[in-house]
This record gives sequence, C-alpha cells and structure tokens, in this order.
Amino acid sequence: MSNTLLKIESVCKIYPGNILALNNVNININNNEIIAILGPSGSGKSTLIRTILGLTSLNKGNIYFRSKNYKDNNFNIIRNSIATIYQNFNLVSRSSIIKNIILGDIAKVSSWRLLFNVWPKETQDKAKDIIEEVGLNDIDYNKRVENLSGGQQQRVGIARALIGSPDIILADEPVSNLDPQTAKDILNLIRKTAKKNNISVLCSLHQTNFAKTFADRIIGMKEGNILFDKPAKKILKFDLNKLYK
Amino acid sequence: MIANNKKLNPPFNYKTIILVLLIIFILIFSAQRVGIPNIVDRLYEVSLDIIGVKETSRISDGLSSIANEMWPPVIETKKDINLILNFDSSNLPFYSFIENQKVQLYETNLETLELESREEEVLFLVEPFGYLKLVLLKVIESIEIAFWASFIALIISIPLAYYSAKNYAPNKTIYFLSRSIVSGLRAIPELISVLFMVLAFGFGPAAGIMALGLHSAGFLGKFFAEDIENANQGPQDALKALGSSRWRILKEAVLPQVMPQYVAYILYILDRNLRMATVIGLVGGGGIGQELKGRFDLFEYGHVTTIILVIFIVVFIFDQISAKLRNKLIGNSS
Repeated sequence: MSNTLLKIESVCKIYPGNILALNNVNININNNEIIAILGPSGSGKSTLIRTILGLTSLNKGNIYFRSKNYKDNNFNIIRNSIATIYQNFNLVSRSSIIKNIILGDIAKVSSWRLLFNVWPKETQDKAKDIIEEVGLNDIDYNKRVENLSGGQQQRVGIARALIGSPDIILADEPVSNLDPQTAKDILNLIRKTAKKNNISVLCSLHQTNFAKTFADRIIGMKEGNILFDKPAKKILKFDLNKLYK
Repeated sequence: MIANNKKLNPPFNYKTIILVLLIIFILIFSAQRVGIPNIVDRLYEVSLDIIGVKETSRISDGLSSIANEMWPPVIETKKDINLILNFDSSNLPFYSFIENQKVQLYETNLETLELESREEEVLFLVEPFGYLKLVLLKVIESIEIAFWASFIALIISIPLAYYSAKNYAPNKTIYFLSRSIVSGLRAIPELISVLFMVLAFGFGPAAGIMALGLHSAGFLGKFFAEDIENANQGPQDALKALGSSRWRILKEAVLPQVMPQYVAYILYILDRNLRMATVIGLVGGGGIGQELKGRFDLFEYGHVTTIILVIFIVVFIFDQISAKLRNKLIGNSS
C-alpha cells in the first residue's frame, strides 16, 4: 500500500489579470508527515492550501487523495479527511469555545440536530477531551472565543481541526499573528497532537527557525514555483532567510 | 535630498466656486417655491413679539389660542343617563358616580315662536378616569398593531434577506427579484399603502397591521441582507472547507455574528411601528390615531392633549424598555 496521502501533480493556478500564483507545482504528502512551506508573501503558499481545499479552482493539474483524483464536484471525498487551521483563526467570535470546537464536526451532524442546536453526546465528550489535549482545560469552555488571547484562540482552532479525526491538517500561517513564545508553543502543540494521532500536516510559515524544528520536510516557494523540497534534517545548516530576499 | 517641485492641491478651485454658486442659486430658487421667506417673516415677527417691540405675531396668536383650549387635559367622561341604553343605577361602572347638574335648555315657544331658555336638572353618569381609560385601551390597540406588524415584517423579511444577500442568493435572477421586492416594499409609505389596505381589509387594525408590516419588511429585509453580505468571511470559509452546506454556514457562522445587529434592528422597527401605529390611525388604520383624528375634527383639544400625553408616556416607557432589552440581549447572546 502506498504511503502517499495527498499527491499534488502539475498544478497551475492563474488569477485574473494573468497573475501566475502556482506554476507546475508537484508535491507528495506522506502519511504522518509534517511539512512546512516557506516563502515570501505572494509566493503561492495560501493559494496552494486553498486549492487543495477546493476553495479556489485550479487551471491545470490534478490533486489525488489516497490515489483518488478529486475535481470541483467531488470534494466530499476529502471533507472528512482534511482539516484546516487559519492565520486569523476564523472562529465564530461570538460563540463559545466548545461550540467552535464541535463545529469541526458540522458536516457529520444531521440537519435537525443543527437546527435545534442538539449535538450528539459523543461529539461533546470528544470536544471536552480535545480541550484538555490542546491545553485549554483551565478555561471555562462556555466562554466566548472573542474573550480569549490570540494563542488561546489558535488552540481552539487546533481543537476544531482535531475533532473530525482528520488524516491531514492544512495550516495557513497559523502563528503569524502570535508572539514568538506563543508561536513556538502552538507549533509544538500541532506537532505533538499530529504525531500522536497519526495526522499529516502541511503548514505554511514565515519563521525559518521554527520550520527547522517543527517539520519533517521543508518546501521553499517563490513566485508560484517550488525552489526546494528537502528533509528538514538535511537543510538545518542553511540560511533559509535568503528566500525572503 | 530630493527636491519636491509638486505643489499641494489648493483647498478649492474654480470648480468648487462654480459648484457653490450653483447650490446657492438652486437654494434661492427652491426657497421661493416652498415658502421659506414666509417662515423667516413669521419668525422675525415672533422674535420682535418676544423682545417686546411688537405686540402681536401670527405665530404666538395661533399657538396661544390653541394652547388655551388644550389645557387642561380631559380625563373624565360625563354622560346624560337618559341617553344611556338600559341604564341601571344600582349597577354603576367601577369608580363612577351620578351627578345632578343644572343645565340650560333652549326651546322655541310655539305660541310666540321665540327661543326661550329654561333650567332643568339632569342626572349625569360621571367616570372620573373614563376618558383616560378609553385612551389607554386605544393605545394598547396601537401597541398590538405595532407588535403584529413587526412580527409579520420579521416573517416576510427572513426569506427576503436570504435571497437578497449576494453571497447566498442561488442565482442572479432570484437576487434581483428579491432586491426589487425589498425596495418596492420600502418605497411605498405606510400612509399611502394603508389607504389600499383599508379597501382590502376595511377600516381598523387589520389594515394598519398589513400596511406597517409590509413597509417594515422592506426595511428589515434590506438591513438583514446587508449584514449577511458584510459578515466576516473567515468563519464562513472555515465551515465551507469542512463541507457545510450554505444554510449550515448561515446558521452557524453568519447568524451568531449578525445577531446583535438583528436584535437592534427588530427593536428599532418595533419602536418605529409603535410611533407609526398612532399615525396610520388618522387614515383609518385603527388604534389611538383614529380617536385622535376624531377629537381633532370636533375641536376637542382637551381630549387631544390627553391622547398626546399618553402617547408620549407610552413611547418614552417603551424606549426605556427597548434600550434595556437591547443591552441585555446584545451583551449576553451567543
């Protein structure tokens, strides 16, 4: 059985105005592998993540999940297997911590349960376990997320990603809005929970030093092209900040 | 250092001067048409009256003659018991009494054919707070009209808002159609639409409820739709990526964001409908307005004062309650 979980094959994305965001991108993501994508703003990192999620259509190429090609109409095959963590957390700010977390399971809940806000007990129990796992057990989980710090909000974001038991987490600059220490803690948490639950991670980052300790593999991107794709161990000695010059 | 030869833009140029002159010209022309000089004349006259230079002014004469008749407010009712059907003196209404009053009656003497007056004792049923009670009952009817109109507006506006929001309408035709309905409902003032509603539903509260309800559905539909369009896209993207359908995203990612504004809009519409419910009564929409119009037409200004005071007190109390409710709901909803 192949170890490849997600295969991105010759993907091109051109935005209106002939802006080339992704140019013939090829990436293989293996099971239980943590990958960091580095690159300056506009290098195509976010577009790549949005394309995998089906939030942006691709102009050329294919994306395979467990060897199944998915296009515009059959994203459902990946919905239950892919979770996302966002730079701006993308939480429902006026809803509670636990509500935001169980929303990670929204596609699996029946319409009438959603209408009357009656969530299955097992989902709620699972959410409570995950709250502990992401280190939010000291906070009242009925508190609104708008009253939490940035780091705490991102922990809620991680918990929301974990509740659906995904095979892969896509993280779009998850620590850009956080201070260095909180950023380090959050990346450690993502790595720890991913390894524990056998989840692959594709994470775009700007902090090259964090990427070296966080990822198993590092991909460098610039202007929609992949410049390098190497195991983290092999590029520890290189100054990756040159990517940003 | 790089020399900067660019000049700062002047605060105005010849275009500004032409525009200002044009606006002044239009204002002068329009002022003549709508009688602004008349307002200025009368205000000038009344200011001379106030400082004592002139003895009378048309404004003060007009207002003082009405003011004299408006005070004191009438709160009692007095009815000749001979005019009350099946009057039973042993079973008087609560807190009322019978008063014996001498009344001057005028009659033509058929022998002399001259008008003669005579005094006669007449028994009156006096209810000291009878008129106040009637006004309060009518005000309650106006409040009921406002509540029902707001409820109908809410029911109509929910689907309209969904289809009028660009990012949720299923296609452009439905979006355009829905937006047109929302604009159309808003475009017809209640005072006009109530005239048609009176034809359809007859005089009374039903016509008022429909006229107010349809007009405010236009407002709510527009407000709701614009808030849906402007809601933070982040949580919606997150739920979309998780495979949520549109209505699920709307319920879980949009509604919690917009709910405080929605509560504020509904309370505003309720507040507005309460004030408008008194006005539409003037043209047959039921409630206190109908009573107000009747008393005004009979020059019973004491009664008019009572009605205006009661409306003022009710609107003031409702204002306080809605402000507290708004704070409570917006502060704690999740």
